Amino acid sequence: MIVRGLSLRQIVMPLVVLLCGTLVLYPIGFLINESLNVGDPSVFPPEEYGLDNYWNLIDDYHILANTALVACIATVLAVLFGFLQAWILTRTNIPGRQRLERLMELPYYMTPLIGALAWGVLLGPKTGLVNQVWRSLGLPGDLFNIYSPYGIAWVMALFEGTVAFVMISAAMKSMDPSLEESSRVLGAGKLRTALRITLPLVAPGVLSATIFVFAEMLGSFAAAFVLGIPGRFYVVTTAIWQATLSFPPDYGRAAAMGLSLFGVMLITLTLARLVLRHGSYATITGKAFRPREMDVGRMRWPLLGIAWGYIIVAVILPLAALLLTSFEKFATVILPQMKFTLANYETALQMGSVGPAFVNSLTLGISVATVGVPVIGVLAWIIYRSRMPGRGAAEYVIMFPQAVPRLVFGLGLLWAWINLPIPIYGTLWLLGLAYFTVFLPLGLRTIASVVLQVDPSLEECARVCGAPWIYQMRTVTLPLLRPGMVAAWLLIFIASVRELGVSIFLMGPNSKVIAPAIVNSWLSSSSELSAAMALIQTATVFAAVALMFSLARRVTGVTQ
Amino acid sequence: MTRPRIEVSDLVVRYGDATAVDGIGFDIAPGELVTLLGPSGCGKTTTLRAVAGLETPSSGSIRLNDETVYSAPERRNVPTEKRGVSMVFQSYAIWPHMTVFENVAYGLRVRKLPQAEVRQNVQRVLDLVQMQDFSERPASKLSGGQQQRVAVARAIAFSPNVLLFDEPLSNLDAKLRAEMRVELRELQRRLDITSLYVTHDQEEALAISDRVIVMNGGKIEQIGTPEEIYNRPRSRFVADFVGSANLIQGEVRGPSSSNDTLIFEAEGGMRLEVVASSASRDGQNTVALRPSYIHLGHAAGSRNAVAGRIHRRMFHGDFIQYVVDWPAGQLIVRRPPTELFDEGSEVTISFEPVHCVLL
Repeated sequence: MIVRGLSLRQIVMPLVVLLCGTLVLYPIGFLINESLNVGDPSVFPPEEYGLDNYWNLIDDYHILANTALVACIATVLAVLFGFLQAWILTRTNIPGRQRLERLMELPYYMTPLIGALAWGVLLGPKTGLVNQVWRSLGLPGDLFNIYSPYGIAWVMALFEGTVAFVMISAAMKSMDPSLEESSRVLGAGKLRTALRITLPLVAPGVLSATIFVFAEMLGSFAAAFVLGIPGRFYVVTTAIWQATLSFPPDYGRAAAMGLSLFGVMLITLTLARLVLRHGSYATITGKAFRPREMDVGRMRWPLLGIAWGYIIVAVILPLAALLLTSFEKFATVILPQMKFTLANYETALQMGSVGPAFVNSLTLGISVATVGVPVIGVLAWIIYRSRMPGRGAAEYVIMFPQAVPRLVFGLGLLWAWINLPIPIYGTLWLLGLAYFTVFLPLGLRTIASVVLQVDPSLEECARVCGAPWIYQMRTVTLPLLRPGMVAAWLLIFIASVRELGVSIFLMGPNSKVIAPAIVNSWLSSSSELSAAMALIQTATVFAAVALMFSLARRVTGVTQ
Repeated sequence: MTRPRIEVSDLVVRYGDATAVDGIGFDIAPGELVTLLGPSGCGKTTTLRAVAGLETPSSGSIRLNDETVYSAPERRNVPTEKRGVSMVFQSYAIWPHMTVFENVAYGLRVRKLPQAEVRQNVQRVLDLVQMQDFSERPASKLSGGQQQRVAVARAIAFSPNVLLFDEPLSNLDAKLRAEMRVELRELQRRLDITSLYVTHDQEEALAISDRVIVMNGGKIEQIGTPEEIYNRPRSRFVADFVGSANLIQGEVRGPSSSNDTLIFEAEGGMRLEVVASSASRDGQNTVALRPSYIHLGHAAGSRNAVAGRIHRRMFHGDFIQYVVDWPAGQLIVRRPPTELFDEGSEVTISFEPVHCVLL
């Protein structure tokens, strides 16, 4: 006797998995197909297949060298920032650590695009605010030219430093303090304990953070785009973009580059996971310990300075520069030359294409989050709760977009949907679909963390009490998942509003969105207008974050 | 004759290559409380969950209230919510987003009972578990013991035919556990509800059950009343797992002179009189002897008397445990705290043949 409630479940579950799996794999399939196309690039399906696109990558060795240079410098800097901050904020007794720890999240919301714009305003050659001061002091040349590999690495490092901080401090926090205490009890001194016990225990966390950050750097786009294009300095991601703009567009070369980058990223990310899993001994128990705080004595003030220094350089200085610039007619810090105006904001909100871009971005953010979260919720439940065969493979596929550089995925989506008879290319529908696909991993991870916390017997008990599947989902499962769903909604909203890599390929003349619009304004018109636009975008994101925290507090307040 | 309420036969549950439950069968009569007892991983919880429909067996059949709810040959598998069973979970599974009242009313509301009836039933069962004053409290603001009571109230609120308990007391501290044990048994007797109870605590199993099923490695070792299980364990495993036992190695040497017992020669040459069990068979080479059935000093009617020496004394409060050197090695003996012997003193160890169980 097969009961109807069960069969409904049996229809819904494979359908959702199949749909999401297709959305992810379809563009990647196209990308692979295109990378092997050695005939006329604008003909589909390809007339000739071959590996020439991959062989030709060897000629682009300078681009690979550029990418490696930027990624290496930025990784070293980011891990240095992250490690220092993590150690200061979790293991020393400097004052105000908790507030600092919360502020450390800010660079993450700043996004690399905002960082790049702000540092362009600060350290651009000749016109950069800092360089203006430098010259007004009568010093020769520029203090620093941000339009250089080192400038790009600097901006990326400031952004990824937060990621490194989060990963390394997690490793430091999950260490049982009794491991160090027993070393002290057995007679080892502070230094010996640090070298023989603490360091080996934290090392896997630091190493995996390093590899993870490096992989992110390889696929990052915004900083290299804003700061590299003016000086014709190309890394892989910007070179891919350039290849699609050339005439005729060299999609084959772009796809081959993209897939190779994806391959390297996949290998490094897998490596990071392996390091974390095999090297982490038993320190990561998921249990949060209050680590032993080291009394740093007089060193507390310099350390406090370092901790605040990072926040100032990564958040306050860039925001202040953008704020000043956005209210000026011409970006300057020379007092007598300053002319303040609101015109930039007026233009940003009115301009033929920019105003609608804001509206489009907000519309997309709200609708993608609203439609996406319930679907991802069901998906998370299927993958982490049900016993559907193949759910492990489903998880792997859904998490795929995470390892594909956003820009490469955008290219695949462009190519895939352009060749479909469904006329959605150049519309917001396509952007919505693309956002949903690339944010699947983000949503899944957020909701999964809540799904895993819900004891399965809470659901089983509902069934035992006589509730059919739908009734159980409505009365028990979904209410328990609410905090995760709210968080996922806001995270997807934020990610949508600041999306760049996919949007830049998929937006059409009638479907402009904000992040690419800011980039275009930066490259084609004025930095003052771009600053105003970037600030409006940042304010939207911050407002959403504030909303998230107040909502989260209310939701968890009810359930606990 | 009334049919059993729960009938399990030839039940097999596999997870991939591992077999958790390996072809077991048992019946439970109306109003009976039967316990599945065994170490962790013995398949007892899997069996319970299969009865509830939370695990899908590989073969066999399960009948509840004369209705087949699972049958491999008939390809029949009634989903949990249609089986009419109720269950108390190990973790209590109290829904944190509801009040106590809403938790208890859940099963009644699923059954679309009128509001007045829901209210009346919830009140009745909350009274039964002495939680009447907590009905409007958010369930997340309850102590472990209170959650336990709410879980029981919720399980009995919709008057199920069959109640399943999955280690319901294992998360409580020792004292509360002993109290709740008494209360659960009271409640079960009063409501006359057929129950299947899973525990790894042998003391709990003996105390509350009408019958105990001892499981090991996915198979049933022995089914019987608590007294049968304790006094006449049928295997080494049961003797060792339920209560504690001295296991004495040796060989049977034939009937004794009085012909109602057998002579058992332990390693080291000591001869004991033991009772032949009905299931006597060849190759029995162990005698199980409970520490509580051994006297120190000569007791009347004890046909086995051996000289020994106190090796170690441990005071446990409710009893004293002695380790006694005797010809077959060392013997554990439990005596009331009034019987004090010094370490090193010579004693006579005596016990009756009926307490020597041949395995």
